[in-house]
Amino acid sequence: MFDKVLIANRGEIALRIQRACREMGIKTVAVHSTADESAMHVRLADEAVCIGPPPAKDSYLNIAAILTAAKISGADAIHPGYGFLSENAKFAHMVEEHGLVFIGPSHEHITLMGDKIAAKEAAMKAGIPVVPGSDGGVATFEEAKAVAKKIGYPVIIKATAGGGGRGMKMAPDEASLETAFRTARAEAESAFGNGDVYIEKFLTKPRHIEIQVLADSFGNVVHLGERDCSLQRRHQKVLEEAPSPALNAEQRTKIGNIAADAIRKIGYRSAGTIEFLFEDGEFYFIEMNTRLQVEHPVTEMITRIDLVREMIRIAAGAPLGYTQDDVKFIGHAIECRINAEDPVTFMPCPGTVGLYHTPGGLGVRVDSGLYTGYKVPPHYDSMIAKLIVHGTNRNECLMRLRRALDEYVIDGLKTTIPLHQRLVSNADIMNGDYDIHWLEHFMKEDEA
Amino acid sequence: MSKKIEVDDELIRKLADLMDETGLTEIEIGNEGHSVRVARGGTAVTYAAAPAPAASNAGSAAGQVLEISHADHPGVVTSPMVGVAYTAAEPGADPFINVGDTVASGQVVMLIEAMKVFNQIKAPQGGKVTKILVESGSPVEFGEPLLIIE
Repeated sequence: MFDKVLIANRGEIALRIQRACREMGIKTVAVHSTADESAMHVRLADEAVCIGPPPAKDSYLNIAAILTAAKISGADAIHPGYGFLSENAKFAHMVEEHGLVFIGPSHEHITLMGDKIAAKEAAMKAGIPVVPGSDGGVATFEEAKAVAKKIGYPVIIKATAGGGGRGMKMAPDEASLETAFRTARAEAESAFGNGDVYIEKFLTKPRHIEIQVLADSFGNVVHLGERDCSLQRRHQKVLEEAPSPALNAEQRTKIGNIAADAIRKIGYRSAGTIEFLFEDGEFYFIEMNTRLQVEHPVTEMITRIDLVREMIRIAAGAPLGYTQDDVKFIGHAIECRINAEDPVTFMPCPGTVGLYHTPGGLGVRVDSGLYTGYKVPPHYDSMIAKLIVHGTNRNECLMRLRRALDEYVIDGLKTTIPLHQRLVSNADIMNGDYDIHWLEHFMKEDEA
Repeated sequence: MSKKIEVDDELIRKLADLMDETGLTEIEIGNEGHSVRVARGGTAVTYAAAPAPAASNAGSAAGQVLEISHADHPGVVTSPMVGVAYTAAEPGADPFINVGDTVASGQVVMLIEAMKVFNQIKAPQGGKVTKILVESGSPVEFGEPLLIIE
């Protein structure tokens, strides 16, 4: 087992990793920018190394600084969290080349799944159903027109170097295709340095359903069920739940096994998530994330499996120690992502936390680095807390979530707690009746 | 059942004297397992046997508290990166500078090594070196005070 792990991240996920390491008796090194000197995980870590000024490119994305900090602190493994360098294959490779262990998958798998066209091909080969679309990249408008005609409108043009909801343009009909196609290419070129795009059928009322998988280095693989992440604003998830109210046990088992089989086939190691669009009873692969995800806690709540701990154990060479039959799903869990934003306009509102009081009681979990007097830095994304609630069934979970949201106090900043309070009292949400466009419509009605 | 906590009065007296000398109103020092906080104004001395919520920086001891004034010194030169500081061009060579030397703006005063690359640290202004704050071969973090030029 590792003696010392370097946490290459910040905010709530860094605290999450700190906690898992602490529970395992592993020493921690928190690398941080000057803006995060007083972060809770920095305070709790065994050692802290300031690696740069606030901008991410000079600190949390600064590979040289992070590897140097690992060397001088004598860390033997690095956990990259999510975002930042977690899906940077070059970083993962360099970590290994420097004699450290990267707590995650191999750099080859990161590369494979980071190229969205290659990922889709790999998925197809591994037997995963995919969204009907172009066979690989589409280089010219003529090609695009032909593909779109074949699969039928509406279509969506996606950047191969994109992912995570970025670099996508929808075209509802042939008339709008040329503009959408050329804009998508130009934006992809400027945002990702790679203008290659592919085309898929645009599903009109799908749900976003993802499967969590865990694999060790001995070929043992389990799936930990699904998460429904359909409530999104501008492709950013706002609220997630497990299990999905839209799936029955048979569908869950079927898609879970398809995912686990594919992971086994490609020899993947560590935690990963396969994302699907689900419409009219059919699953369509969109992408795979080769990292821990923000919403992993809802899976932890219903399976009682500590995903960060498992990632560390797997990276240290331990076998899973359990099979699919040992994985049980208990009750229901919902997570609310709480951002330091105006709950109506979504304008970021960083500031100093005043009175801070978290909700408690049975089945209530808060993952957050906040504390009274903490200054939320303006340089990073606005998520400041995750409230995760578990209940024996979905109704109990919703009641508990409503109660917990009412108890949560974060003074000194505007937060999106009021938005979540409205969502959990909404009839559609209470019925589990929503798709990936629901939240945008809900917000538009607000503006009306 | 609780473990017996030993009271180190010499340490507490020392901290109290330090507060008088420096005009501080509160001092907290700690290491793995223990922390001591002494505050002026009639509040009691606190012992905490649990790990203190203050991380220790790589390569420095509990005496860090005494050095906070260096970081605010107008002539302080701080490290622009994380790495290992070297005060000479190579092992056995003469150091770039000694305390008391006068340096010119742009003169190389130290090296910081990261990923096998040695980066020259140059004096941002001319003046006299009054303090060298790091030992050769010790790790430094971004923003750490290296030396003072007055």
